[in-house]
Amino acid sequence: MTNRAFRPAAPLIALVVGILLMLPLFVESTYALHMMILIFISVITGSSWNILGGYTGQYSVGHAAYFGVGAYTTMMLLQFRQVPPWYGVWAGAAAALVIALIIGSICFRLRGPYFVLASIAVAEIVRVSALNLKNITNGAEGILVTEIPPWTVGGATITDWQSKVPFYYVGLVFALVVILVSRLVRSSKLGYYFQAIREDQDAAHSLGINLTLYKNAALSISAIFTSLAGSLYAVYVGFIDPSTVLGLDLSVQILMIGIIGGVGTILGPVVGALVLVPLSEALRSNVIAQGLINSGLVREDSAVGAFLKENLAHAHVLIYGILVVIVILFMPDGVLGFVRRIAVKKAKA
Amino acid sequence: MAILEIRHVSKFFGGLAANSGVSFEVAEGMVMGLIGPNGAGKTTLFNCITGYYPPSTGEVIFAGRRMNGLQPDRVCKLGMVRTWQKVRPLTNLSVLDNVIVGALCRTNSVKRARDIAAEQLRLVRLDHKNALAAGALPIGERKKLEVARVLATRPKLLLLDEVMGGLNPAESEEIIRLILDIRHAGITQMVIEHDMKAIMRLSDRIVVLNSGAKLAEGPPEEIVRDPRVIEAYLGPGE
Repeated sequence: MTNRAFRPAAPLIALVVGILLMLPLFVESTYALHMMILIFISVITGSSWNILGGYTGQYSVGHAAYFGVGAYTTMMLLQFRQVPPWYGVWAGAAAALVIALIIGSICFRLRGPYFVLASIAVAEIVRVSALNLKNITNGAEGILVTEIPPWTVGGATITDWQSKVPFYYVGLVFALVVILVSRLVRSSKLGYYFQAIREDQDAAHSLGINLTLYKNAALSISAIFTSLAGSLYAVYVGFIDPSTVLGLDLSVQILMIGIIGGVGTILGPVVGALVLVPLSEALRSNVIAQGLINSGLVREDSAVGAFLKENLAHAHVLIYGILVVIVILFMPDGVLGFVRRIAVKKAKA
Repeated sequence: MAILEIRHVSKFFGGLAANSGVSFEVAEGMVMGLIGPNGAGKTTLFNCITGYYPPSTGEVIFAGRRMNGLQPDRVCKLGMVRTWQKVRPLTNLSVLDNVIVGALCRTNSVKRARDIAAEQLRLVRLDHKNALAAGALPIGERKKLEVARVLATRPKLLLLDEVMGGLNPAESEEIIRLILDIRHAGITQMVIEHDMKAIMRLSDRIVVLNSGAKLAEGPPEEIVRDPRVIEAYLGPGE
């Protein structure tokens, strides 16, 4: 089956984008906007990972490095040098590019599982460095932003960053740009070469493809966009430390978004983000236990009800893990691949 | 004029000499057959020529240029490309996309590459399978796909490693005709083959390898009568 089946039509895309652009005008719930911003950040990271992991077949489990380098560069410039974040973001992207080229030159000598291990190791080096370079990064204390200067262009204030709305739009624009870039890369020479490397490195090499060059190109594109997500996250949350923006669990989360939705497809990471972000939020904030009780399925004063209410929220990582395993076992092509297969079956029947 | 010169090429793996002191020339436009018993070092020689291994000693000169130490992608760009004994289709890509990857060697435009690819697939008579995933092809068509893909890189010299291996007589016949067509188009070819009848028909000249060294070289009718060649294949007579 080709990936070209089940491609959403242009009017549908325009409709979805239109709704997303208007959303903050109608939705007043800050929690809803917060969820949307988290989803955008996940779409950006998942799509970025997908360019390297999905298209090129180089499974990086160290993408937190680029997320964190973006986040740290923007935050250090903002807090210690008073550089506004809309400049800092680009400095963060440049820093991530430099780190990517260094990491690429080390890790791309290795193939398959050895590349995966090297990507973890190098990302850990970045995390431990951030932890120990206390005079530059504040170490484990992290960086807390006290004030974001208002964004003014020619005297007119665009935003003062006081609400979630400006972050919503920045996230939306970044996410749309990443999806567009994924689309453009896929149908270009780069995309063909990336996929040839994924399918068979030796065959690709014999057909005139410079493996080192194209793997580094994929990593560079991937790292730059991942850093944008990192910068956005940092400024939005207003606080970063090495474990949240450089940790291995973040690398795994980024990888999951790419895998759960469907590896190597343009919309896969979008689906991945739409599934995983609400899921992890729902599990973290006890809504499931509360829902079971409210629906009358479980009585609150029963032993089970009390147990769920007490413990389910603590077990969110466990449940999240189990669900991920189930998806990987039963939907090897990801959620999107699963939906497509059902659609094809229905069409044939 | 020789398009390819192999000068005293040896390749050692530890103490084992997979090739030792092999020398010969391939003239432009010809089909050079490369034969020898299993383990004679034919594929190793291909790997040395196309940049997968650097030769331990000796030189590979292609179109007047020393190739030692060049990576396979550079070798391909310079006009020398090989197929694989064990075919290597880009499984999840379509047949057409496989050949587009080859064609992109000479152009940055996907549109132009698509035109070149479609043309090559017509040439090998595989264009009715363009939209199929390469992994879904049976072995005979995979071999054709390999040939179409390397042709799309616009080579001067094509190295075919057992393109007829595992094919039935009808499929082999198609490949033989394809090789003759390619020869007609002016592309030099070096062909490793086990099917003796086929190699005799195809080759303008044959090099025989045995235990890594060159045993004999000459036109096919001389090679079949050469007692050393007969002994290497069948063992010493009584």
